[in-house]
Amino acid sequence: MKPFRQRSKSLLALSSTALAIPGIASGDAPPPQTTLSYKFSNYNEDDMSRSQVPFGSLERYDIDVHQFRLLTPVGRDYSLQIDANHENMSGASPWFTTAGTNGSPIINMSGASGITDERSELAVGVRYYLSDGSIGGAVGYSEENDYRATYFSFSGQKTINEGMTTVSVGISHSADDIFPTDAAIFNRVRNADKQSSSAVISISQIINQRSTFQLAGSLTEQSGFLSDPYKFRDVRPDNKTQIALSGAYRYFVVNADAALHTDYRYYHDDFGVSSHTLSVAWHQNLGNRWQLVPNLRYYSQSAADFYTNIDDFLKPLTEFQSSDYRLSAYGAFSGGASIVASINDWTATLTAERYVADHKHSAYAVTQPGAALVSYTRVSLGFDFTF
Amino acid sequence: MTTATLKRYGFQAMGVPCEIQIYDSSRINARQRIQELAREVSRLDKKYSRYRRDSFITEINLSAGSKLGIKIDTETRGILNHALKCFEESEGLFDVTAGALYRLWDFRQARIPAQDSIDKVLRSVGFHKLSWQGQRLHLPAGMELDLGGIVKEYAADAAAKMARRMGIQHGLINLGGDFAVIGEQPGERPWTVGIANPGERRSMMAKIDLSAGGLASSGDYERYFELNGERYSHILNPKTGWPSKGLRAVSVAANLCTVAGSFATIAMLKPENEAIAWLEESGLPHVYMTNAEQIAGPALKQESATPAAEPAAESL
Repeated sequence: MKPFRQRSKSLLALSSTALAIPGIASGDAPPPQTTLSYKFSNYNEDDMSRSQVPFGSLERYDIDVHQFRLLTPVGRDYSLQIDANHENMSGASPWFTTAGTNGSPIINMSGASGITDERSELAVGVRYYLSDGSIGGAVGYSEENDYRATYFSFSGQKTINEGMTTVSVGISHSADDIFPTDAAIFNRVRNADKQSSSAVISISQIINQRSTFQLAGSLTEQSGFLSDPYKFRDVRPDNKTQIALSGAYRYFVVNADAALHTDYRYYHDDFGVSSHTLSVAWHQNLGNRWQLVPNLRYYSQSAADFYTNIDDFLKPLTEFQSSDYRLSAYGAFSGGASIVASINDWTATLTAERYVADHKHSAYAVTQPGAALVSYTRVSLGFDFTF
Repeated sequence: MTTATLKRYGFQAMGVPCEIQIYDSSRINARQRIQELAREVSRLDKKYSRYRRDSFITEINLSAGSKLGIKIDTETRGILNHALKCFEESEGLFDVTAGALYRLWDFRQARIPAQDSIDKVLRSVGFHKLSWQGQRLHLPAGMELDLGGIVKEYAADAAAKMARRMGIQHGLINLGGDFAVIGEQPGERPWTVGIANPGERRSMMAKIDLSAGGLASSGDYERYFELNGERYSHILNPKTGWPSKGLRAVSVAANLCTVAGSFATIAMLKPENEAIAWLEESGLPHVYMTNAEQIAGPALKQESATPAAEPAAESL
């Protein structure tokens, strides 16, 4: 049988609501067609300044990411998803910090000629669709020259309250191996492992014909080697408990033919880091084939209890300390826009984003301003082909 | 093993003649199954017919103006949600809240209502005046919902879906010219469906081959009147309250009969040129008759084409 191609936006819109009427709907259903996607992204951190880094490379990470995905129905009740990613990174990251003549931190970058690394990842997932929900599982493997991760996940979702409410639960586990390069030369840890387990629950509620609300909570337990092996002095606890609570509200503005997406997330862990994230996006339809999505995000976190912006080499190795800027108190603004074009069986998405982090933007008290906070530019171009 | 042959069963529902055809080796079995499908169609007829005092849609319409609103079930909400999408996609032309307009225009009496009364009725027309919170629907006073433009097509899809669940592989649902395919004919042969000519009811305007999905037609078939040389179609524009002056008839094939029906209805409500462009953009097979009685569309089969050898169907 020849499937009808979904050519126009009206056809897509009218099909989706018709397919949701109970007599026609088969509850949850596998995707009706196969989608093949490819996305290329470039993530480029701004260079450091010479005033912060007296010697060595100023260049920070530059990462190219290639992502492939295949999502296809299998039989009437199953779907299969395969994800393959490949990353090339180059650049350098802060190695250790010392106090400069005026007392402000001086950053020493790792690797005079910088780091180059590659990461490859493969994940396979299967979903089974029931009349009012679905269950699924996935396994994945990721490898770089100093890191290996094996993970699996299970999730289920069920629609209740006459289709108005969807409850989802999921668990996942990841077992990671860390084997730093040049361990012997720099007296780094030679081999270590790390375990992460997480559980998540979320509830989505349709409020009325124009708006939906979602609440989610997650708990993650990490154990093992949680420090950064490449930093000269980085000693962190070997257990970490993280919680996150989030809310998402979607509102469709009929007169503007647009949707407002607002999201908030609260995070806390027992390293002492708490954070708030607030993001707003406006999904503007432009005619039948185009969509423009500007977005803005604000993020702020508190510092970890053992954060120091100047490494203390006199401290015994049994005491926790880290000068990782990601554990300092700071705030970050990011903004960007995506433009989406749908033409016949193709969808193309072009995204550009600018991110700027600074301790001055922090909503939390800053006792030790983080050194080497990152700013980056990310651009991506993706294509989806449905057949 | 006896081979399955085509069995057909006709019945009356939704004010139109209906027929279901399936391939089955057993006559008794086929009759039972088709009757079960016919019951599903009648269920929807009873629930959504505006002409029945005991229907749910009458109950909804009686609740108009009530502060409490009325509790609606998942099926009705699903239909309303689709109706909202039709309203949005047609920029307000396809509006199920225009029920009261159809009461005003009497096509049997061939009479034009007074502009005052049209204006009065229009005040309570408009999908955006409708609201629902959770399971409660609120109709403003005077509003009347007419889901007829969606429910017949939906009933064809629902019956086809039920048939597939019953294990029927080859069959066709026909509810007064709205078709839903259960599955193509054995040997991967499509169903050839005829589309009536709005000018002459007995002649055919076109034939369309259907392998999957559905086909729906909209037109001013017999339901119009002429007064002082002007033609008044029964298809009313909910913005002006006056008959629409676009195409005479249109048939559309789509992935679902419901989708085909929504496209056909919206095309009838648009000005002729816009309707033709919009149908073309949809990429769906369709055929239409213009106001000048010209028949065109990408799905038009040449009448000279040899008709597919239709097997004789056994009536049940």
